[in-house]
Amino acid sequence: MLREYTGADENDSIRWTKVSEMMDGKPSFLRKSDWMVQSSKQKYIFLAFCLVPTFIMFCIFTLYPLFSGLYYSFFDWSGASANREFVGFDNYVRLFNDAIIPRTIIHDYFLVATKIIGIMIMALFFAVALTQLKIKEAPFYRIVFFFPNIMSVVVIGILWTFIYNPSMGLVNSGLEFLGLESLARPWLGSETWALPSLVLPSIWAGIGLFLLMLMGGISNISKSYYEAAEIDGATEWQQFWKVTLPLIWPQIKISVLYIIITTLNGSFILVQVMTGGGPNNATHVMGSYLYQQAFEQYNFGYGATIGVMILVLSLITVLFFQFLMRREKVEY
Amino acid sequence: MKRMNGKLLLLFIAMFMLAFVVACGGNGDTEEAGTDTDDTEDTEDTDGSSDDGGASDGDGEISGDLEIQYFVGGYGDSWWKEVISDFQEEYPDVNIIEHAGPNINEEMRSRWVANDPPDVVYIDGAGSSETQMVEDGQLMNLDEFVQDIELENGDALLDSFIVEPATYDGEIYSLPLVFDTWGTWYDRALFEEKGYEVPTDFESFMSSMEEIKEAEGIDPFVTSGQHPYYFLRGMLNPAFGAAGGDELLADVTTGAEGAWTSEPVVEIMEKVERMAQEGMFDSGLGALNHTQSQMNFLLHDNAFVPVGFWLPNEMANDIPEGFEFGFIPSPMQDPGEPYAIVPDLRPLAIAENAENPEAAKAFVEFVFTREYALSFSEHTGAIMNLTDVDLSQSDDVPVYLTEANEMINDPEQVQIYHMPHPMSADLEQPIGDALMSLMLGNSTAEEFVEAAEAAAANYRN
Repeated sequence: MLREYTGADENDSIRWTKVSEMMDGKPSFLRKSDWMVQSSKQKYIFLAFCLVPTFIMFCIFTLYPLFSGLYYSFFDWSGASANREFVGFDNYVRLFNDAIIPRTIIHDYFLVATKIIGIMIMALFFAVALTQLKIKEAPFYRIVFFFPNIMSVVVIGILWTFIYNPSMGLVNSGLEFLGLESLARPWLGSETWALPSLVLPSIWAGIGLFLLMLMGGISNISKSYYEAAEIDGATEWQQFWKVTLPLIWPQIKISVLYIIITTLNGSFILVQVMTGGGPNNATHVMGSYLYQQAFEQYNFGYGATIGVMILVLSLITVLFFQFLMRREKVEY
Repeated sequence: MKRMNGKLLLLFIAMFMLAFVVACGGNGDTEEAGTDTDDTEDTEDTDGSSDDGGASDGDGEISGDLEIQYFVGGYGDSWWKEVISDFQEEYPDVNIIEHAGPNINEEMRSRWVANDPPDVVYIDGAGSSETQMVEDGQLMNLDEFVQDIELENGDALLDSFIVEPATYDGEIYSLPLVFDTWGTWYDRALFEEKGYEVPTDFESFMSSMEEIKEAEGIDPFVTSGQHPYYFLRGMLNPAFGAAGGDELLADVTTGAEGAWTSEPVVEIMEKVERMAQEGMFDSGLGALNHTQSQMNFLLHDNAFVPVGFWLPNEMANDIPEGFEFGFIPSPMQDPGEPYAIVPDLRPLAIAENAENPEAAKAFVEFVFTREYALSFSEHTGAIMNLTDVDLSQSDDVPVYLTEANEMINDPEQVQIYHMPHPMSADLEQPIGDALMSLMLGNSTAEEFVEAAEAAAANYRN
């Protein structure tokens, strides 16, 4: 369908001819000749029919909250009453003078970086293993790895809180069992270790989805490339670098962008459940700090300002990574 | 084709503008509506006060819908059910609508924002703040109304409160219903069995903790690190009261200049530093939430926990066999001085925009009786804020409560100190953060008071 549609840019009639060609064998009303000489009015009606409902939904559920957020960021408002006062850019001035904000940004990007590295390396490794190594239990592993994705993030957070529990948690008892008591520590209760401790559950919860995406990409690569490479004497490692990786680059790129977006916007759930941003702000990310300001300290206007900051930073980061990861499309 | 693109673009721009206008215009409308209702508020208020006499005289005129919002937490809701059904019998023409639950403050927030609040609100639990509600003008001024309220034996209500209502610029906006107080809990059975000393002042507290640490091999003290204000309210406020009375307590609560770096505060924070250095705090408390810290205490992972009277009722299903609750006011004072207590009050209030203020007033008046105060202690294991309630006459009141009640009423043992109003979250949060660092041993008392003074300066501005 896509090819026919692209054709429409050059000449409308071509498009409809091709569509009608495709419709051969379909009910006759779809092949009526008046489709060929479709008036522009009909075209607009059809386009409007496709676009307007979606666009209205988009306006109500995306644009309206977006602009409301922007609007509220100029107010001093507790978020709990009808009284609010316009304060201009005061909230933005406060944002730049708030010593906790830079820490939340650093924490967020720490999670972005560690998650990209951890998830991509492991997902790629597992994807290659499950598709190329002809493991009999591949479907089983696929389900196992995907399992965390169907669990609620809140459940994952609570589960890992128990795993990290200093006295009865799996991590510390495991270390003790191995005779490594000196390494046991109150993971989530330590200002130094709390943030790194959040990385593991984030990666664990994230692998499955990207594993499936990469596996889809890999299984689309024609076997003949590998056969040709093998005949040329390429090792498995070379095949991975020269054949697999370039051909699944689009999937990798989308995965990385997706990890960035979900982390910047969604990492606060895990933080909120596991540490509440503490101890002493050691794990606050932008989202959890927004929540604290808006709903615990009754500074809804300031919270909205933090929301605007998250939006701007997410946009900049995504654009930057798109630029960084641009590559010519590879076709063999 | 170009023409079509242009038209499409126009269409999109038009829609975009529409969305923008809707987004911003909508808010403008609500704001105007807000001011409109503000105007009507005043008239409604005067209506309310003039009807007030009628409301207290007889029950015939009270009718219509009465919406009551109450938070259900550690105290449960059985007491509320009893009171509300009694009220219904007394005033059959009133149609009572209850809004209750552990998340009710969040659930009702949109109603408050839309200026369509319930009539009566019990302010308690996460997501509620009396100070905030008064600042936002959401609560009715009860100054005149409260003067006329009498208890069942004719005592004036204003003279019968254990702790008087909070005032904002001298005006009363809420009536303190529940008298809770933070204190330090221990397992009486364990202490008796092992012969541990129940602390009477800070020095005996330290020696008791040292003994327990050695004998039991545990970190003796636990609190919720996710909510550092537990330690602030449960341990530090009584300490401030004991060291500097109501004046110091008011200064630290309002963030007065120099209060946090003053000598008595520094001395108290050095005590906390000592607790941290000697390993009295649970090493994992930084990540513990409310329930986990209380659970740790019940499981004997720790020996002391500072929380309010809600503890036994809230954890009723998890209490190990043989566990016996013991309660003392937090022992942060120097030897030879009485314990200090800073009450934590949960008030009942009427919304400024209540649709049925007469019924709301009738309900508030109905609730404040000594009979309900006794039944409150039976149902919840906590105390209602009325004097001269004889808790010992009922077998359903737990032992720790009768004891605590006696202790609180004996000025030689316990001094009661008052905060002018709860500390604002904007001050409590940064101080709590710095406090956490001190308790984890990552900063010193000196660094803490500097950070707290800076937070107070920030708050004042």
